[in-house]
Amino acid sequence: MSGDEVNPAAVAQPVEDVHGDGRWLSQHTRFVQECKDAEPDVLFVGDSMIQLMQQYEVWRDLFSPLHALNFGIGGDTTCNVLWRLQNGELDNIRPKVVVLWVGTNNHEHSAEQVAGGILTIAELLTSRLPKAKVVVLGLLPRGERPNPLREKNAAVNSFLRSWLPRLNHAQFLDVSGEFVHSDGTISPQDMFDYLHLTQTGYRNLSKPLSDLLLQILEDTPEERRASLI
Amino acid sequence: MSAEDPNPAATPTPCQDTQGDGRWMSLHNRFVSDSKDKEPDVLFVGDSLIQLMHQFGIWRQLFSPLHALNFGVGGDATQHVLWRLTNGELDNISPKVVVLWVGTNNHGHTPEQICSGIMAIVQVIKNKLPHARTLILGLLPRGKSPNPLRERNAKVNKLVQEAVSSLPHASFLNVDPGFVHSSGAISHQDMYDYLHLTPQGYQAVCEPLHAHLKSMLEKPAEN
Ligand SMILES: [Ca+2]
Repeated sequence: MSGDEVNPAAVAQPVEDVHGDGRWLSQHTRFVQECKDAEPDVLFVGDSMIQLMQQYEVWRDLFSPLHALNFGIGGDTTCNVLWRLQNGELDNIRPKVVVLWVGTNNHEHSAEQVAGGILTIAELLTSRLPKAKVVVLGLLPRGERPNPLREKNAAVNSFLRSWLPRLNHAQFLDVSGEFVHSDGTISPQDMFDYLHLTQTGYRNLSKPLSDLLLQILEDTPEERRASLI
Repeated sequence: MSAEDPNPAATPTPCQDTQGDGRWMSLHNRFVSDSKDKEPDVLFVGDSLIQLMHQFGIWRQLFSPLHALNFGVGGDATQHVLWRLTNGELDNISPKVVVLWVGTNNHGHTPEQICSGIMAIVQVIKNKLPHARTLILGLLPRGKSPNPLRERNAKVNKLVQEAVSSLPHASFLNVDPGFVHSSGAISHQDMYDYLHLTPQGYQAVCEPLHAHLKSMLEKPAEN
């Protein structure tokens, strides 16, 4: 990506209410409100992959106990998440960890642009929350069989793997290896529509994710915890 | 709409694979293939509201024991369900009841068009499965606050209810337990994104639905 071009995946943009029921803005407004009432240690931000997680038992079992908030909105791109975070969703909270999972809905953008958009969000998070760690989840493969979107998501992950180490407080967690079988297919037992995860699919990635989160939370020194109050 | 204009909501249409991962057709093919191995007594067909029901404990608890299959596809409108049912999903099964829940994704269509789309699906089910009865679930309100789509869905329900009243093989069931509070708001405890149901929302919908299905399955025939 040349330096002069604006990366369209790194431009903050709200979702247009094309259907007319205002659901996207209602969700954003609710998240901003939740920030005022809650004191989360862990913030989950992203698209439907984040959002749906909260509807399964795995959320109650593994993530709620960590004092987690879930700011996932189905269909969001990097542009939409960037807009939300710049418009109030970080204003009243100081989580110790932010889990970021977005990018698979950026259909208009190249892999490099998507990775650039994710990096921009990670930079925003580390600058707004200098004491927090950012965990970026790798994009998952999608579609029952091999297809261009799987290749694109894998390419996004390689960019992230090489770029994220430049950010001090960010790390990359790639859980994408769990889902494609040796014959190249993805099972509906893991992804019910070959994109969104089943409870079983979430279990596959929740163990490494919750282990990492526990480790980060344990490593947060007590005096820093005190200073966050 | 002039008489010559075909109703897009009642014209069988496959979902275009605009994103390029072929997921819609994969789901359809899986359903056709599932229908060859299974002998369901109840078939659930529709959009994400049907599809997501399958992901939560309520499905195993209430509907699996009724020998139910789930052919829900997120984002489907009436014309997509119509295409799927005319292209193999009903060819190898003979359920006693088909539960149909679709229409909230028919953006750009009038309530009359959506109702006709639903009735076209009912007709396909009647043709393919002459002994089955179709139970049409009412569209739910959506959006946190009152908005035109709530009014549209309510209008669809009214039209569908009128349209099925004279049909012996079809009936309408309002499954809204009262999701709209007196303030006019819908709670995210029931619909996490003000459209899709939480497990709690599904419980409120599915318990009366389950009771209704049991009585339908016990009775040999309506009218
Ligand atoms: Ca009737």
